[in-house]
Amino acid sequence: MTFKSAVITFPGSNCDRDAVTYLEDLTAGPVYKIWHEESTLPNVDLVILPGGFSFGDYLRSGAMASKSQIIKDVVKHAESGKYLMGICNGFQILTEIGLLHGALLQNNGLKFLGKNCFIKKRNRNNFNKSIDDDKILEIPVAHNEGNFYCDEDTLKDLLDNELIAFEYCDGQYSLDEANINGSLKNIAGITNKKKNILGLMPHPERAYQKYHSSEDGKLIIESILS
Amino acid sequence: MNDDLILQHGLTLDEFSIIKNYLKRDLTIEELGIFSAMWNEHCCYKTSKKWLKKLPTNNEIVIQGPGENAGIIDLEDQDGIAFKIESHNHPSYIEPFNGSATGVGGILRDIFTMGARPIATLDSIRFGAITTDKTRFLLNGVVHGIGHYGNCIGIPNIGGECEFEHSYDFNNLVNAMAIGHVKKDAIFYSKPKTLGGLIVYIGSKTGKDGIHGASMASDVFSEDDEDDKRPSVQVGDPFMEKLLMEGCLELMASGFIESMQDMGAAGITSSSVEMASKGNVGVHIDLDKVPLRQPLSAYEILLSESQERMLAVIDKDNDDKVRKILQKWQIDYEVIGEITNTKRVVFTSQGKEVVNLPVDIIVEDAPEYDREFFIPRKRKEKTFDTKNLNLDLLIENQLNNLNYIDKSWVYNQYDSTVMGDTIKDPGQSAGVVKIHGTNKAIGATTDCNPLYIRINPKKGMKATVAESYRNLISSNLKPLAITNNLNFASPLDPNIMGELVLSIDGLKEAASYLNTPIVSGNVSLYNQTNDQPIKPTPVIGMVGSNLNYEKLNSNFFQGEDDEILYIGKCLDPSYSPYFLQDQLNIREMNSFNDLADTNLDEELKAANFILESSEQGLIRSCNDISRGGIFNSLLKMIKKDLGFKIEIQNLINLFCEFSAGYVISINKKNKEKISEISKKNNIELYKLGVVKKSTIDINNQKIDFKDVYTKYKKNFENIIH
Repeated sequence: MTFKSAVITFPGSNCDRDAVTYLEDLTAGPVYKIWHEESTLPNVDLVILPGGFSFGDYLRSGAMASKSQIIKDVVKHAESGKYLMGICNGFQILTEIGLLHGALLQNNGLKFLGKNCFIKKRNRNNFNKSIDDDKILEIPVAHNEGNFYCDEDTLKDLLDNELIAFEYCDGQYSLDEANINGSLKNIAGITNKKKNILGLMPHPERAYQKYHSSEDGKLIIESILS
Repeated sequence: MNDDLILQHGLTLDEFSIIKNYLKRDLTIEELGIFSAMWNEHCCYKTSKKWLKKLPTNNEIVIQGPGENAGIIDLEDQDGIAFKIESHNHPSYIEPFNGSATGVGGILRDIFTMGARPIATLDSIRFGAITTDKTRFLLNGVVHGIGHYGNCIGIPNIGGECEFEHSYDFNNLVNAMAIGHVKKDAIFYSKPKTLGGLIVYIGSKTGKDGIHGASMASDVFSEDDEDDKRPSVQVGDPFMEKLLMEGCLELMASGFIESMQDMGAAGITSSSVEMASKGNVGVHIDLDKVPLRQPLSAYEILLSESQERMLAVIDKDNDDKVRKILQKWQIDYEVIGEITNTKRVVFTSQGKEVVNLPVDIIVEDAPEYDREFFIPRKRKEKTFDTKNLNLDLLIENQLNNLNYIDKSWVYNQYDSTVMGDTIKDPGQSAGVVKIHGTNKAIGATTDCNPLYIRINPKKGMKATVAESYRNLISSNLKPLAITNNLNFASPLDPNIMGELVLSIDGLKEAASYLNTPIVSGNVSLYNQTNDQPIKPTPVIGMVGSNLNYEKLNSNFFQGEDDEILYIGKCLDPSYSPYFLQDQLNIREMNSFNDLADTNLDEELKAANFILESSEQGLIRSCNDISRGGIFNSLLKMIKKDLGFKIEIQNLINLFCEFSAGYVISINKKNKEKISEISKKNNIELYKLGVVKKSTIDINNQKIDFKDVYTKYKKNFENIIH
């Protein structure tokens, strides 16, 4: 069966085209571009909430997008067990909707971070199952609010239920600290309990072509498809 | 009208009398405001025009030269590349965050006004000595502002330069460059086509910000000015610009609009006047229709520089269709006037005509000055003693100088990979992006050597153009065209005026020889506070391409045991100005020898050698040699744990400047092939050594690799804090 996917665009999304290209290049199936004011999603296997500054990130990152018209159907899509992935601002939107727990605070260095980071998988799920346990992925980040934080109960929940998909780690030759932004437990990406929703701060859609600084971002789509 | 009022508007009394003699009547205050905005340096280039006309602006690939919002060159097939650089110097000193942010916003509008989607930005920024809190404040604010705006709108920042030098203590420079991609048959111009077309206002509401920004930017500062001028700094909203960009690109693709002009410096005044002038028509605008953020007088509306606004001309029948597209993007839209056949600019407010001027007097009769200028005196020859310098000291001097070390502290605050097409991010010889959906690579660099230009403006400018050229060549990009940003102090000083005139002459000579025409640009004068002028800083932004991105060279070492070679001629230390300044601490301008003249023929020969070798896949990595000599080039080529072991007869030569110099690394097995190509191109190849893991070894003196590399990467952050 062909794998179908969709990317939602909010006013201020700026990685929507990148996400569409990523899906078009790595999945053989159609990719639908959905405007936030639409009320129904097509029947797809994966929805991506892309990065950017939805609604200018005014109020709080992702807060206004989480109230968009299309979100009701996105929630329905996720409840049916199909894949939903929020990258960067998309991750922030997922926490604002409440589909994922925790929050993304301002980076501990109080500055926007635009560079490559290193992550590895922590708990196995359908977004990372094709990735070796000790594989270090080099993937760009570009965020001002990527510092994952949650209360103790939520953290216990994340740990007990093995919901931490990716964590920041040392790169072999990197002079930077592993934990680039102050995230609790080095968290770079988490899932929900059913493990069909992934929120991820790094941008795999910027790391999959041979002219990119790494092709590790392929591994996430490969995991989903395998 | 009293003289004070006229002078406050930045006009001289002579200029005012030209206007009065022409009109044969009194001016309204609004009309005075219009002349103030349109007759200042920023808008009418009255000091530089005479000289700018001499620049080469055309060749077979130029689609649009200077005079539009941006220049456009042909990149084969259906692809055109629009690009331009623009300064936001004065606002960035008064309010660094908003000043630099709106600099980015302004240049992006220049690009998408042409129908091009912006695909990259670069920034050339200069600050005073880092020893003061003020410089640190400016650095933080400017970098934050550039990042904030570009990151939010989602255009990758792929390079630029960042220099620190005393003369910028009270006048930091912020020059922002943007590049866009446009299909050649979808280029938009500002010239309106039909009489009776509706003039429409698109974008943010008009507020009080930036009133008289353009005339402020053409003024000399005095120290206590700062607070007074702050309200003249525009405030940017990148989210609004993102909506405006998407809305305008959708509009232009829809075919419902016929021309567009961004409201940049001098706001609605300059955009409507330019529209009328280019179309040889008149404009009639009702200021009561302009969407306002707060109550404003007609005078204020005319001169507001509120950001994220566009003026467009549409056919009457398309009003509703345009409105509908802009509603989707939540953008304000109002019909505010029409194109007339009067060749006059008419503004009404509350039923009254507040401005009624012939377009010609504003544009054609704008003053043009032939200011007095001096040619610098001949310099006496001197020899400098370098015997107190040893290898450790030479290296330490570079590692402790912000101008020689890794600047990732700056560009890690920028998003350089958004849009997914970035091939080379900042910190390399050139930034490179791929044209989406093609194999074409577009690269760009910005450069200036203010010290060279102060020593000898003409030769210094030639050296600057040559350096930009080499930056592109080293990545195997064919240099195509130039945008320039001429930043100078007050041209009323004949010495400064001489620097302006002679550097344009140098630009002309180099650009003609290298066949890289100037297709767009900007002039920023009066960059001085009290008696302290900035060093002459005519910044070059050069764009180049390779139609197959897979042929690009890396600027980083690729593998151990690769052989390292160099080409070019090392300058004598006494003729290496940056070496003298940064290693021997020579500060007094009179002490320097004259600059070595750039041999443009040698540059071309060296470039041909690099390009030919690169196309054959023989070069594993390449970097040009500039400030900091071979050693600094090698430092920049270190990647991961790949260092170098080299030998050189005269140690000092590792740190001196070069003419037509490049460092390359090759696979040993390709040595003969490379050597054949060098012979064919009449290029002498010199062996330096090999790439070696975790090693810096110079003439068998082992240097601590980790220590040097860590300092190179991290000292910037340590020094600025």
